[in-house]
Amino acid sequence: MTDQIISMHNVCKSYKMGTEKLNVLKGIDFSVDRGEFTAILGPSGSGKSTLMNIIGCMDTLDSGSYSLNGIQIDETKERDLVKIRNHEIGFIFQNYHLIPTYNVMQNIIMPLLMRGEDRKTAERDCREVVDMLGLSDRLKHKPSELSGGQRQRVAIARALCSKPSLLLADEPTGALDQQSGTEVLRLFTKLHEMGNTIVMITHDMNVAKWAERTVNIVDGQMYQ
Amino acid sequence: MRFSEILNLVRINLIQNKFKVLLTSIGIIVGAATIVCVIAIGKGGQADVADQFRNLNAGALDISYEQSEGSSGFSFGGSLPSFSGGSMPSFDGGSVPSFGGSGSSFSATASKESGSSDGSSRRSSRSGGSGMPSFDGGFDLGSMFGGSGEVKNREKITLSTEDMEDITASVPGLSEATITYTTKQNIYGGNIEETESYTIAGTLSDYAGLSNLSLLFGDYLSDTDNENKTKVCVLGYSAAKNIFGSAEEAYDSIVYIDDRPYTVGGVLAEQGSVEAGISADEAIFIPYATGIKYLTGSDISPTITVIAEDVDNIGAVAENVRSVLAASYPNAEFTISDAGSKMEAANKSNRTLTLMLIAMASIVFIIGGIGIMNVLFVSVKERTQEIGILKAIGGSRRDILLEFILEACSISLIGGIIGVAMSFGVSPLITSFSIRMEMSVTGALLALGFSLVTGTVFGFYPAWKASRLVPVEALASE
Repeated sequence: MTDQIISMHNVCKSYKMGTEKLNVLKGIDFSVDRGEFTAILGPSGSGKSTLMNIIGCMDTLDSGSYSLNGIQIDETKERDLVKIRNHEIGFIFQNYHLIPTYNVMQNIIMPLLMRGEDRKTAERDCREVVDMLGLSDRLKHKPSELSGGQRQRVAIARALCSKPSLLLADEPTGALDQQSGTEVLRLFTKLHEMGNTIVMITHDMNVAKWAERTVNIVDGQMYQ
Repeated sequence: MRFSEILNLVRINLIQNKFKVLLTSIGIIVGAATIVCVIAIGKGGQADVADQFRNLNAGALDISYEQSEGSSGFSFGGSLPSFSGGSMPSFDGGSVPSFGGSGSSFSATASKESGSSDGSSRRSSRSGGSGMPSFDGGFDLGSMFGGSGEVKNREKITLSTEDMEDITASVPGLSEATITYTTKQNIYGGNIEETESYTIAGTLSDYAGLSNLSLLFGDYLSDTDNENKTKVCVLGYSAAKNIFGSAEEAYDSIVYIDDRPYTVGGVLAEQGSVEAGISADEAIFIPYATGIKYLTGSDISPTITVIAEDVDNIGAVAENVRSVLAASYPNAEFTISDAGSKMEAANKSNRTLTLMLIAMASIVFIIGGIGIMNVLFVSVKERTQEIGILKAIGGSRRDILLEFILEACSISLIGGIIGVAMSFGVSPLITSFSIRMEMSVTGALLALGFSLVTGTVFGFYPAWKASRLVPVEALASE
């Protein structure tokens, strides 16, 4: 038995656009093993963002089955999906999605606060990640006071501090210059070497090359 | 998420948006300040009423008679002071309707007999009834208004101590009774260089106790003073100050009333302004019989004041008084005013005013609440992506709902605190317009409570909307 973090079978998703039904995902079969660094590569409109939302438990599938770390997501209610997002998934977004009114530390510890930890414990638990990502001297800064690369490192720290089963990155270098992008990808490689499972969604072949495995998604269908 | 951490997030958000919080809470600030001021003005009004009526006993009935000038068979009210509101109860006795605005009135109808030993025309023999003159043109207004055609109050009647004794002997449920009259007289003495006109009140010894008067110096008039018709007086506080410079100087001095010397046997403590009865501060009190002998003769219009033992029984007492007087004066109509009703009416009108002001303050609160709701809706719109992030990283609906509701509550509570503080700041300005205010902790707490409720009620819907946002849609919003 393989130790799969993600296991998807025949996943379909469609949206209604006025009177028309738009089939975005057309029977996706996709799996990711624990500790794997996988890139999902596809052009704009291919359905990769929809796939990411379903993997990230932020959207529901119409049909098929999806299991994340052994939890049958397609049978889980929204209330429990909140907990799964908090415990199992670390999100890294293209636009960082940091809360502008909170400082770096407040942003990083937010997932731990969400699960009921008190602030001091959460800050202590995140200290190692903060040091590893070189953010120790930036903790009191607001996101607006940081460079793009630094912001993305804060987002990665936020994703890592909750010790999730899966790091889910959506175009993590999309808003960065080449140097900052490369730094982030080096960091991903390091995290992968440390045993983290990473799924990275990108439209850029050069970015996808950093992953251990690349799958292509075109017009809602996946090609391994 | 822990409640304390949600509060901390709220604190951070409020600090980051200080100016917006202040602008949002303006409606609440005004509402809270209004509530505190309204309650303070209401309490001040009640205190005013209490002060103005403190010389009246709630169970007191004032009985007086006013001779009619025109003789029409009905009266247009008595001579009692009038109160705003006009809602006083009217007890009409006899067949003659009582019209008029002031005070509660009880009417008694009686015929008259003449002759009295103390100068009053007591129990005079002339009677009304048929044959009374009607108006030119053949109209009989007495009949027209439901009367018997009798002409009332054409005769001069002077209520006397005998009438008072009749009432106390015949009416059950009375605890005390007294009789008073007032007259204007020129006086001099002390620091007064030219004569000045003062109100002179002829009273019995029990008047001070009945009217809750307290003395600063000396004693009130005694029964012996009345029996011996002694020329002694008690000065009201302001009168003493005006005439002698101070209450202390006035005591045991001599004041000349109608050129006769009166010894100042006592000076009253300051009573303040009164709404009904004799204004004690400005008056000079002399024995009842002394006044009749030296000042007025029979030319007085006394008022008999009786005190009912049971305030709740005052209606029955009034009826009985009317019956006793009707037996003596079958063709006369007396005004009987009920002090308790006056107080109640004044308090009622005060309460009505307070309620009206509270209603106004509530409207201000509602407007303030709508303001908060609007700002929160805009805030939810502005922070949709932030809500999406919180939801993506594990924020539950409860967390989001609580955060936004607490934010609304905090904004309104801050507004409430500023409003309460502001009300204490503006109260001296309001009181400078001669409006009495009694600032109270109750008012402040009520204003804060109202603020909090407004924030919660109007903040709930935007918070609920925020909590229901779909994370993926919220994240995708610009």
